[in-house]
Amino acid sequence: MTWFIEELALFAPAIVFNIYFAVASIPLGFVAAVFLALGKDSANPLISRLSRGFIYAFRGSPLFIQFFMIYSLTLSFNISLWKPLGLSWFVLHPLFIGPLVLTLNTAAYTAEIFYGALRAVPRGEVEAARAYGMSRRQQFRQVVWPNLIRLAWPAYTNEVVFLFHATAIVYFALPVIGLQKDVMITAKELFERDYNAFLHFSVAALYFLAVSLVIFFLFGLVYKRLMRHMPAAPRMRFMPKWIR
Amino acid sequence: MSDNLAFWLSYLTNGKHLTWYASFQFTIFAALAGGMLAVIFGLAGATLKNSRFFALRLIGSTYSSIVRGVPDVLFFLFFPLAFEQAVEWFMASQVCTPETLAAQSATWPPCKEANWFLGTPEYLILASVSLGLVYGAFATNVIHGAMRSVPQGQLEAARAYGMSATQVLWRVHIRQMWVYALPGLSNVWMLIVKATSLLSLLQIADIVLWADRLGAPNYLSAVGLVHDDWRWRYYLVLFVFYILVTFASEKAFGALMNRAGRGILSEARS
Repeated sequence: MTWFIEELALFAPAIVFNIYFAVASIPLGFVAAVFLALGKDSANPLISRLSRGFIYAFRGSPLFIQFFMIYSLTLSFNISLWKPLGLSWFVLHPLFIGPLVLTLNTAAYTAEIFYGALRAVPRGEVEAARAYGMSRRQQFRQVVWPNLIRLAWPAYTNEVVFLFHATAIVYFALPVIGLQKDVMITAKELFERDYNAFLHFSVAALYFLAVSLVIFFLFGLVYKRLMRHMPAAPRMRFMPKWIR
Repeated sequence: MSDNLAFWLSYLTNGKHLTWYASFQFTIFAALAGGMLAVIFGLAGATLKNSRFFALRLIGSTYSSIVRGVPDVLFFLFFPLAFEQAVEWFMASQVCTPETLAAQSATWPPCKEANWFLGTPEYLILASVSLGLVYGAFATNVIHGAMRSVPQGQLEAARAYGMSATQVLWRVHIRQMWVYALPGLSNVWMLIVKATSLLSLLQIADIVLWADRLGAPNYLSAVGLVHDDWRWRYYLVLFVFYILVTFASEKAFGALMNRAGRGILSEARS
């Protein structure tokens, strides 16, 4: 039993990095996604095209390539830009680049979810709001947004779990600095030391599973609160049907 | 101008670049084989989930939920390593003698004779199988849902014609299931295509690894063209490549759905 607890303890500092990457990118990605979704729905063709293009590009390409591309792009500006400004240590740090790329990625996926929800907002309610003489801003605040977030929440929960899973590849694409290792790198290094694939990878999987369950629980609480006006709030299942 | 063009043409067709172009075969193979295996595992998983026996149902749902509950990259790395170890462990129980066991100083393999060297082809096959296993779990749910979407009336009609249970399953149920499964399977295919970028994690010299090598800064004129860090250009090419593959897949699946949906419910289209 003690060996198992020791094994768990080895991974405890590592999961903090995964959680950091997720926590740092989710709020920014959420805000960006709202604007992207509205942009995609915009009547202005330029804004609409740009948002569509961004969403399509980041949903249509692997996160792994996005990491490499954006990291090497920042790296190529190092001598001309970051170094003279004295920003290299910050801009090139995995703890900055990681959340940056994850934010762009999750913004695109979340924007698609929000866009779908935006289209599903009942037309009658929006028309009623307009008939009441509400301004565009009021319509969005009072009618569209509450509907949108309730419709999108289960799928958004799923996206957050996927984003958390995506943090597993951050350090495969970015340099590992000193002891800053996430769960996957820890598992890989432990495996290379004693070749016990079953133990190390299972414990890593256990950590991911545990945090995923916590995410589902927390987001389920929020969903319950969002749906508190309903007679019986639909319960969220551990594994929703959506896939990313 | 034409000199310039000739130079770039020859640069882009030098040996290293040709190797890069050739390495696309690994990605394409992994995607196609992984996709096919995912459908097979998905069908197997859905059959298990639909089974009459509780134990089989349990296996089916455990498979689909456990594999989906952990990151794909974790399982993608774990499966080939674990498979290799399992084979080596089995070999060790056959070929190792007490002397060779005592002579081995490393932790693994138990003895030198049991070592199994994996080259690119072996890793490629293992990678495809693990892609199939991971995304088969997604496909399990897609197919399971699609099986339940087939209208009961169709199955009843088939039974009324006197078809046996097996005939109903193979001639009516599974045939009609595809229409409902295609949108979900198209999503799974996109995931598989994106996951093929991870092949370099399994020591396969794939497009990502070559992009990194080709773009790395070179300051020795003896080695080739002297250039700065050009990696971002190569990665940009890959970025665009994957977007184009996604675009082509979307079009192909759209056409496939239109074709499969002929004469069946109109809402299955779109």
